Amino acid sequence: MIIKFIQFCRDHMKMVKMFCWSILLSLMAVDLFIPRHHPHFLGDEIPGFWAIFGFTACALIIILSKWLGHKFLFRPDDYYDSMEKEK
Amino acid sequence: MHTDFFFHPALIFFLGMCVLPFLRGITQKIFMLAVPATAVALVGMLPSHGSFWHCQCGDFSLVFGRIDRMSMVFANVFTIMAIIGTIYGLHLKDYRQHLAAWGYVGSALGCVFAGDYLTLFLFWEGLMITSVCLVWMRRTKESINAGFRYFLVHTAGGLSLLAGIFLLYFSTGDLSFTAIDPDNANLAAYLILAGFLLNAAVPPLHAWLPDAYGSATVVGSVFMCAYTTKTAVYTLARAFAGFDILVPLGVIMALYGVVYAVLENDARRLLSYHIISQVGYMVAGIGIGTAMAINGACAHAYAHILYKALLFMGVGAVLEVTGRSKFSELGGLWKYMPWSFVFTLVGGLSISAFPLFSGFVSKSMVVAGAWQSHIMWAALGLTLASAGTFLHTGLKVPYFIWFWKKEPPFEPPKGEAPFNMLVAMGIAAFMCIFLGVCPQALYNMLPYPVDYHPYTPTHIMESYQILLFTMLGFFLLVKKLSPEPLIGLDLDWFYRKGAGIFMAFCRNVLARVEKGFVMDLHDKFVLPALAVFASFSYWHDRRVVDGIIDGSACKTMILGNYLRGVMQPGIISRYLAAMLTVIAAAVFLTVVLT
Repeated sequence: MIIKFIQFCRDHMKMVKMFCWSILLSLMAVDLFIPRHHPHFLGDEIPGFWAIFGFTACALIIILSKWLGHKFLFRPDDYYDSMEKEK
Repeated sequence: MHTDFFFHPALIFFLGMCVLPFLRGITQKIFMLAVPATAVALVGMLPSHGSFWHCQCGDFSLVFGRIDRMSMVFANVFTIMAIIGTIYGLHLKDYRQHLAAWGYVGSALGCVFAGDYLTLFLFWEGLMITSVCLVWMRRTKESINAGFRYFLVHTAGGLSLLAGIFLLYFSTGDLSFTAIDPDNANLAAYLILAGFLLNAAVPPLHAWLPDAYGSATVVGSVFMCAYTTKTAVYTLARAFAGFDILVPLGVIMALYGVVYAVLENDARRLLSYHIISQVGYMVAGIGIGTAMAINGACAHAYAHILYKALLFMGVGAVLEVTGRSKFSELGGLWKYMPWSFVFTLVGGLSISAFPLFSGFVSKSMVVAGAWQSHIMWAALGLTLASAGTFLHTGLKVPYFIWFWKKEPPFEPPKGEAPFNMLVAMGIAAFMCIFLGVCPQALYNMLPYPVDYHPYTPTHIMESYQILLFTMLGFFLLVKKLSPEPLIGLDLDWFYRKGAGIFMAFCRNVLARVEKGFVMDLHDKFVLPALAVFASFSYWHDRRVVDGIIDGSACKTMILGNYLRGVMQPGIISRYLAAMLTVIAAAVFLTVVLT
């Protein structure tokens, strides 16, 4: 059952993508009409603020972390093993 | 319930440990299920508050059974988790993993019910010793090394806690385990805090966590992800609520885990970094210290134990079946392990706080607590971290294990994970959805009365926007995320590399100094000097000591002979004369004196 469903989605990738895009767009549209009772700060009052926040956060986390990794932190898989062998 | 019946739930597990080795076959399996089930039932029957099992031990009074609402939340989820974990490991032929796991659960329950610091310390150390067995039982070189590192780091934390307890005892004489006033915190309090923070994996004291959980046995890591950090959260909530320092520490934790999760190639280590991230929410909530935030921390701990165990079970099932946990070696499993995928996805959606899943009703309480207390940077930092959580656990883990490639890059597995594993995952998944749909069941257990409604239109809208646009970002940048067979250096570098440097220093510097310099010095100067001293001693002994003793012996003998000649000549007339003289003197004296 699960496999069939996933297979179906994979066979109709275009449709799935369209579906996802339409959900994103409708989210933004609905946000224009949502009642705002107790806004915590400015961002809560701007429609679509959290969408931009989410997207930016995602991009920021990926790019910043990968940059940190490649610049400073990445080592080969057997880094600590090879250290032991040196002895 | 208002009864005075108390039996320590930890004891159920400890007694179970004594019986389990003697059982075989089906009886053993039934017994395995019965023990945690009894514990759950027992926790349900305990009184809602009170203090039991006092034990006088020298000058100290130990309290093994302090019960209030906060300890009951944790006891409840700890025992439920014990059932799930035991079912997950039911297929194991090696029952010793269950022994270690039960000892571990029992110790965690001991900490939760401990009413004083000494009892807490006792179970705290039990927690460490039993969990390190779960790492070692994987029996690979890597896990044995990781186990030793885990052991040493936790010993250091335990010593800090013990030092704090000693100082506390000498300054106040009172060891009861209660809230510490943030304004009167002294060195003792901070040493105890350091011990707790180490177990909660707060950076920079966190590197043990991915190290150990990534190397433990499949079943072991499912247990470990639930207890050590959450016991620490409980102790922090108990003693250090309202400590301001915990707010920035918690937010840093939440973000730190997210950043490192990007770098991680091993699925279990990625999930470990997300434990750090999620515990960050709890630590921040405890630091905020309002009723709402503390409730949030406890609720989040409850939900977290279930969904994190679910995630570890899903990834563990893949490891059990394929022997792999690195993203770069996995992919395309959707056709072969669909149920594991669905359950892992439920865990991923729960940790990411999707509406109708457990994370949504618990995580948001902490964030709402931050908003309520007007700590905007904390609220925004935690929200940022929640986007990262979905990015990794909800998207990266399922995508790179089950999709990504058309077919697995290895001989495809013959079937799903063992049935008992699927059952355990099913129970955990059910709990995650149940808590998300009926949050009131969770809220009723929390330490303070709850006045919070997660399902408001603005909150749902906010969550969907953040999560779905994170998903958009993920699929746009997915190429950048493709797994690389690399490791990210973390702070364990300092002690792993540092230990190497220390050993090299010993081997190359200290050993050489010893061989070249100290031995030379010894041969050239110390030995000749000792020889001179020895010959002097010999001479001294011979001439002075022996001379004195022999001389005095000779002299005594001569004197004795002379005295014998004078006093005992052997002539009777002399003895008579002496006797008569004495008698005459006596008579004379008597006459004169009377």
